[in-house]
Amino acid sequence: MTILRPSSAPQPVRSAAAPSDSYAHLLPLAELGDHIIHGEHESARENANLNGDSFSGKMSRLGSEYARWYTRQNVLPEPVLQAVRQNRIYIHDLDHYALGTTNCIFIPFEKLLRDGFSSGNGSLRTPNSIMTAMAQVAIIFQCQQNAQYGGVAANKLDYDLAPYVTRSFRKHLRKGLRYFAPTTGSASDLAENLEALILQAAMGDEQLAADYPQAYAYAVEETRTETYQAAESLIHNLNTMSSRGGGQIPFTSINYGTCTSLEGRLIVQSLLAATVRGLGHGETPIFPIQIFKCKQGINQQPGDPNYDLFLQAVECSSRRLYPNFANLDAPLNAEYMIPGEPDTEFATMGCRTRVVADRFGRNHLSGKGNLSFNTINLVKLGIDHGIYRQTGSAADHNPVTRQQADSIHGSIRLAGTASSSRPSDTAVPDEQGFYRALDECIAVAAEGLLHRYRIQAMQPAKASDFMMREGVWEGGDQLQPDDQVGDCLKHGTLSIGFIGLAECMKALYGVHHGEDEQVYERALSLIAYMREACDALSERHNLNFSLMATPAEGLSGKFVQNDRQLYGSIEGVTDREYYTNSFHIPVYYPVTAARKIRLEAPFHHYCNAGAISYIELDGNARHNPEAMTRIIQYALSCDISYFSINHPIDRCTACGHEGIIGSHCPDCGASEQEVHIARLRRVTGYLTGDYQTRFNPAKQAEVRDRLKHS
Amino acid sequence: MNICGYIPESINEGPGLRAVVFISGCTHRCPGCFSPHTWSFQAGKPFTAELQQQIIEEIADNPLLSGLTIAGGDPFFSAAEVSRFVSRVRAALPDFSIWIYSGYTWEEIIQHTSPEYMKLLQLCDVLIDGRFVQQQRDVSLLYRGSSNQRIIDIARSLISGQPITM
Repeated sequence: MTILRPSSAPQPVRSAAAPSDSYAHLLPLAELGDHIIHGEHESARENANLNGDSFSGKMSRLGSEYARWYTRQNVLPEPVLQAVRQNRIYIHDLDHYALGTTNCIFIPFEKLLRDGFSSGNGSLRTPNSIMTAMAQVAIIFQCQQNAQYGGVAANKLDYDLAPYVTRSFRKHLRKGLRYFAPTTGSASDLAENLEALILQAAMGDEQLAADYPQAYAYAVEETRTETYQAAESLIHNLNTMSSRGGGQIPFTSINYGTCTSLEGRLIVQSLLAATVRGLGHGETPIFPIQIFKCKQGINQQPGDPNYDLFLQAVECSSRRLYPNFANLDAPLNAEYMIPGEPDTEFATMGCRTRVVADRFGRNHLSGKGNLSFNTINLVKLGIDHGIYRQTGSAADHNPVTRQQADSIHGSIRLAGTASSSRPSDTAVPDEQGFYRALDECIAVAAEGLLHRYRIQAMQPAKASDFMMREGVWEGGDQLQPDDQVGDCLKHGTLSIGFIGLAECMKALYGVHHGEDEQVYERALSLIAYMREACDALSERHNLNFSLMATPAEGLSGKFVQNDRQLYGSIEGVTDREYYTNSFHIPVYYPVTAARKIRLEAPFHHYCNAGAISYIELDGNARHNPEAMTRIIQYALSCDISYFSINHPIDRCTACGHEGIIGSHCPDCGASEQEVHIARLRRVTGYLTGDYQTRFNPAKQAEVRDRLKHS
Repeated sequence: MNICGYIPESINEGPGLRAVVFISGCTHRCPGCFSPHTWSFQAGKPFTAELQQQIIEEIADNPLLSGLTIAGGDPFFSAAEVSRFVSRVRAALPDFSIWIYSGYTWEEIIQHTSPEYMKLLQLCDVLIDGRFVQQQRDVSLLYRGSSNQRIIDIARSLISGQPITM
């Protein structure tokens, strides 16, 4: 058990020369400031959605780099700091550690819209139309974003917004009846009768349609138009309104697809149509991340009530990369689903985060989220105990000195005939040593999560303001401003992530899990083992620990840089600029789409904090939704929990042509040399405007290496 | 007969995910052709029975494929040999959709003096016909390079006696 150090207590300043994973250690604080201010800081591109060259981006960087430095100096428990320095674990969003900010949340929109809410500066009534409801959704996203650092999400937006389509319909019906209703009988009697009718009216009411065909048709048409406009403005709002101080737009996700009412279906149709239409100049919207929830009997076969919406979603995805596809029938998701309770339906937020089960009984999604996560560098463990290890250096848990590092590097170069290394003479992996080291990593990652959780739990409700005051986090509205939030937060998840399973296998055995069946079995056992460890941690600490297939934004290059510095360039292990995402088959490895899906699917089952699999398509997917549909349904049938298809979308900024653009725009003939071609790609689960300017170098390299199924 | 290209999974040569086989050799020599390296009949390597079998097995083993597309070169220059290959594919995968590209037009193929042309045509489901004409180049066209080219439903066209486009 770690004792929380009071943050005010003075701490000895650690050696400034200590190795580290971040700039805050490499540079004195003042020099770091110079780098940020003059735009020479690589962290400017660490987060693909933050403009690090802007004033607000730099302001945010200054605060965030100081927070990291402060946390290392004064807050992190020593063993956790050691593990970070050894490049064994990575603490995500370290800048928010000392404050006790939480990560992400599924927002209970149904409740907030029904009861009204206050932004802190002004209060809002329950909306009376879908236009206002969608405007409020954007406001709620923005308010909530300021109370946390990760994603904000709607897990069932179609259900949440359906009542406001009805309200709009009734408004339009009232107007329609005024103009089109028969005028027999006394005017006041009629008005009274009609008012009673309006208060009960629904879009699907056939009797109403038969009795008042003109007014009904008018109301339906007006409602459709209004809902489409509302969806269009929501998508525009979510791509334009900045939040989070540093000029980032809220990290929003919306899930939908299972509500079968006319009203819910209209929401989905409208959101998809607005997404296909695109932003002001027809560009692909970067936000919100959209997720279509797939379920047998609801939207997967011809004859299912929402099958048309699934096809519309595939079509949209073929043009705009979103929506992604969530699999409600995968066993790990079906387990918690209660028929008739859409809040128990699997949904995802942010890069891939999943929160469903709660050992304290809140086995639904809204009103809770992930609290924080730490990622284990599997590759380093693999190198330390694999066939490339050097005698004496294996399982060395002390920080490796510069001298040791040089000698290891040197001996690898001596052992190898070329620039990259060869397996050592032993060439037998030390599996026991590997698992021992893995246990240590899991323990220290958990220690860090628990330590951070205690900081989070002791925060007063007023610190996360909107989130607690309005009950966005379930139960928060019962707290007084100075009450600690721990009792609410315990329903959230603490997640342990992993990265580079492929390079880890390569380091241990010489081949990765896509190349060899036995190695595949070992890889799967490893991830199953990590899941068991998370379950055991949950029991031991009475908290919700879960296993995350880490998305690796910003992280994929840091781990490998440090490992390469220590071990040199090892072929297939440290010789690229990035480590492979979670359990994925490496993007450069040739494998058919079906086989990639079959290989990755079983890993999803263990990753209860979230995972995603991708297939890369080369070509104009928008011309071929048939191929997309077939691939998506195959992935679902293999029990992949969360799935998406990547395909290139290039845009000529001269003429606006979208599609695949080589060196010249096929439409206007403009050359890449003269005109900027914006190349939209997906990074770790979400889109970013233009991969050549917004991706960090490691992710750019990964995108270049992606092997495509043309 | 040589093969100068094989894409195990493509979305660009017909609907669904398709395998694409490129048969070497073409004497149409359309100006602006995007793959002049396939004009030589010696391009690529011999499309042996073993290689054909290997590709057929791979195709049969892939649950995501909707069909096979034969491109080139122009496969009709090797009509007899391509027919034998397509027959083998048909035997292994009776419900597979097979598309074929040619620089010849539908009319040229059905009137061709060699009966092999007609035989190959009949073995396939869809023909994309005609030379690439640079003046009629249109990037918005589905599966084609220039607007003179047509996507023809072979079975329906043979019954009606005139090309029926899709």
